[in-house]
Amino acid sequence: MVDLRDHEGEVAAALGRLGRRVEFADVLAERATGAGLRLDTQSTTPSVEPRLQGTVFRIWNGARWVEAATSAFDAASLAVAVEALEHAAGKASSHAPAPGPSSTTRKEWRTESARPMRDVPVEELLALARDARGWAMAVPSVAEAQVGIRWEDDERLYLNTAGARCFQRLSRTQAGIFVLATESGRAEFDFDGRGGVGGREILEFLTEERAATVARRAKEMLAAGAPPTGEMTVLLDPSVTGLFAHESFGHGTEADQFVRDRSYLQPILGENVGPEFLTIVDDGAFPGGWGSIYCDDEGNPGQKTVLVDRGRFVGALHDRETAAALHAAPTGNTRRADFLSRPFVRMTNTYVEPGDWSLEELVAEAKNGVLLERGTSGIEDPLGGQMQLKVKRGHRIENGKITGLVSSMALSGKVLSFMKAIRGAGRSGPLRIEPGFCGKGQTDLLPVGTGGVHLLSTAVVGPA
Amino acid sequence: MTGSSPLPDAAFRVADRLRAPEPWEVYAERSRRFEIHLGGRSIEMVRGPIALEGYGIRVLRAREGKTGSGFQASTDFSDPGIRSTVADAESVSRYSEFPAKRVELPGASGKALHTVEIVDQRLWDDPLRAVEGYVEELLRGFDGRKGVVPSFGSVRATLSETSLANSAGLKVSYLNTTVDFEVAVKAFGGPEGAPPGEYWVNSTSRRLETDRLSTDIDAWCRYAKDVRRAAPPPTGNLPVVLPPGVLAGILPPVLGYRFTGVARLRKMAPVLGDPVAADSVTVQDDGLRPWSPASSPVDAEGNPRAGRPLVTAGAVAGLLYDAMHAAAFEVETTSSASRGMGPEGFTDWRRFTHPPRVSTSTLSVAPGRGGTEAELIEQAGDGIWVQQLGWASPDSISGAFGGEIRIGYRIRHGKLAEPIRGGTVGGFVLAPPGRPSLLRDVAAVGAKVELFDTIVTPPLLVRPLVVAGAAAPPAPTSK
Repeated sequence: MVDLRDHEGEVAAALGRLGRRVEFADVLAERATGAGLRLDTQSTTPSVEPRLQGTVFRIWNGARWVEAATSAFDAASLAVAVEALEHAAGKASSHAPAPGPSSTTRKEWRTESARPMRDVPVEELLALARDARGWAMAVPSVAEAQVGIRWEDDERLYLNTAGARCFQRLSRTQAGIFVLATESGRAEFDFDGRGGVGGREILEFLTEERAATVARRAKEMLAAGAPPTGEMTVLLDPSVTGLFAHESFGHGTEADQFVRDRSYLQPILGENVGPEFLTIVDDGAFPGGWGSIYCDDEGNPGQKTVLVDRGRFVGALHDRETAAALHAAPTGNTRRADFLSRPFVRMTNTYVEPGDWSLEELVAEAKNGVLLERGTSGIEDPLGGQMQLKVKRGHRIENGKITGLVSSMALSGKVLSFMKAIRGAGRSGPLRIEPGFCGKGQTDLLPVGTGGVHLLSTAVVGPA
Repeated sequence: MTGSSPLPDAAFRVADRLRAPEPWEVYAERSRRFEIHLGGRSIEMVRGPIALEGYGIRVLRAREGKTGSGFQASTDFSDPGIRSTVADAESVSRYSEFPAKRVELPGASGKALHTVEIVDQRLWDDPLRAVEGYVEELLRGFDGRKGVVPSFGSVRATLSETSLANSAGLKVSYLNTTVDFEVAVKAFGGPEGAPPGEYWVNSTSRRLETDRLSTDIDAWCRYAKDVRRAAPPPTGNLPVVLPPGVLAGILPPVLGYRFTGVARLRKMAPVLGDPVAADSVTVQDDGLRPWSPASSPVDAEGNPRAGRPLVTAGAVAGLLYDAMHAAAFEVETTSSASRGMGPEGFTDWRRFTHPPRVSTSTLSVAPGRGGTEAELIEQAGDGIWVQQLGWASPDSISGAFGGEIRIGYRIRHGKLAEPIRGGTVGGFVLAPPGRPSLLRDVAAVGAKVELFDTIVTPPLLVRPLVVAGAAAPPAPTSK
């Protein structure tokens, strides 16, 4: 198969059959291709993305959404899925209108790159990875260096019975370097990575200087002290701020949690939640952002949605159903992990916009506390409003100066208390979106971007 | 349990048409998935069948004392589709290098497969009705309860026919079911004006466990209510009791890396005989544990599953190998290849899309002499019981773990006392000699084991772990 659209005829015919039985139906067909490689001191492991393709149909049966999917495009397989939905439609009032506005967008998008990754020979990627590994391994005490490069072309074709037709080919490229240093039985690591919508240009960050820096930092970690514990002044670096914006705050703005009466933020929409210099957005149209999408899986274009505007909580993220329930408009945030997964309201690129403090000013203002660096993971608590963020490393702040290096930490506390206590936001150069993957609960992982600036507040620091 | 599907097993259909030099291997699955998603007490979405049939082909190519391994997966069962999948795998193998001279794949043994309970027959026979029945039972469990509701949840049942064939003549197949369950229980209302509280449950099993729903719902509701009146824990080094649900998020990701040939290859594995845990700790990897989501009659390369000792009376007793790593060290495979199990414990139900990798299956911690939960609490004296962590997010390299306490209980004078929430608890699962670690600081091992996801373990009393609570004053900021 050359193009997903080669199967558009069969898919559209199956959708048309459903359209004769129900008021609204839609379909998403998907095909993903790609490749990657991982190189360390012991092995070279190239890979290719699975040749996965398939279709998921959805109907509104008058009471709820019903879906069926198949990993084949032949008429018989599509018919099995359609018949299952016809059966489901027969049980209820299938001519009731589906909630919310149906997209009527008709458009095609493709990621443009001077060098799409599909045109880059594997030999070139191997050479780059070997160089990067070599640069890192040249630093004493380094026991292992791993370099990973991966790209994917994800084609999605969305059709619905209201006339929408959206085709997108989204190309994502990601690379990272991970360095392990060991000494006297202790092992520590550091890492750096980039990812975004684009091609070979994203790999330009893999330079000798960067690889050596990661290696030196891994080595430094061998001498890192234990982190402080307890409630204290904390200064988040941009990667940790991005994690905060996504995990701690952003999940509470997904309006499906409002409809389920499961968001600590719902009752305070419109209220002040932070200082006037605090602005948080979700931007599916962020150029080159790892979590960017051209259109969501209900046919609505990706867009910028302001969540917190100068300290006031003003916006939530919507699909068609939550928009209908809460008298809002869809925000282009309906996403499926793939054609096998259900759609949810999901974030895209979520970040804190710059303030006007320099790093030196923030450290001086902190006086005593801890600087948290290299965010690694976080978990949401949409109803309880607690936060948990984990970082790989940090530095103590003593008497207004950055001092000793400390190892991994976890940050906890109440999100709203943390936001109210924000005392400064850094100014930044160009905003960098960090690549990550997010689940809704424990499953349905998909690409999301996070970013931000240095943020000064108060929280509980503990072991991690 | 050998499959009896009306169509020939998917791997055999591919293998019979495969034209490739030896050695090669085909792993295939024909799966149907049925899901019900809840929004409050209402059904938000019904999904199914989600039909997925696919296969993964691995080729192994010896080259200059090393092995090139190539893998590709596909859902295209046509002859051209199989040819292009093999071509992809061959192409990948040309650039792949692994330090093993010759990798052996298992042949046909002629022996019957192990019998292991991994099929929920009622689910297999009528999947949508079985899932609907389970959800009805779940919702009925909340009838008549005041101030407690499910706010969000899903039941996702997968029915798979797994098959494997290789160039050494192996042909095996088996049926299996998997149930991913998630529910958030919300407590609200009442005169006290406290904000709502939630207890969020995630689990993976081989069956719809209707029999225990009523007991489970009682406990979930109690925890959700206790969240509302919980206070932050104290700060300090405290005795901590960790139940199976918490240990499931800590031990498998770390031991599943450090006790394998992958870690040994990178000089990260412990040495046989090394003391890594308290004498009371004995752990094995049990590939045949009934109803575990990681159990199967054969591993992902077709070797019969078995029990493998990892830690005996605190000392390292064994490491785990798949075919590649066994060949690298010239040892026997321990039938420890799996597919779709991520290093952080996430699993992908599309297992055929992954090449085999060595991992633990079900970690089995032997029961000890610590007695009942009440006796463990009594031994803790003054400490905490952690019922649930946000996410322990264990680091398999350094062995560090730590997470926010979603709900726990203070232990005072050897008795459970008030609920706690917030703050973090953490430490290291494994650590170099002379440094504290969770396994080394196990003070007592409970007497009763429970299966939770991919671990079967009693609760462990660990003395001490570092607890950081919001109520405490800031720690000194000097080193």
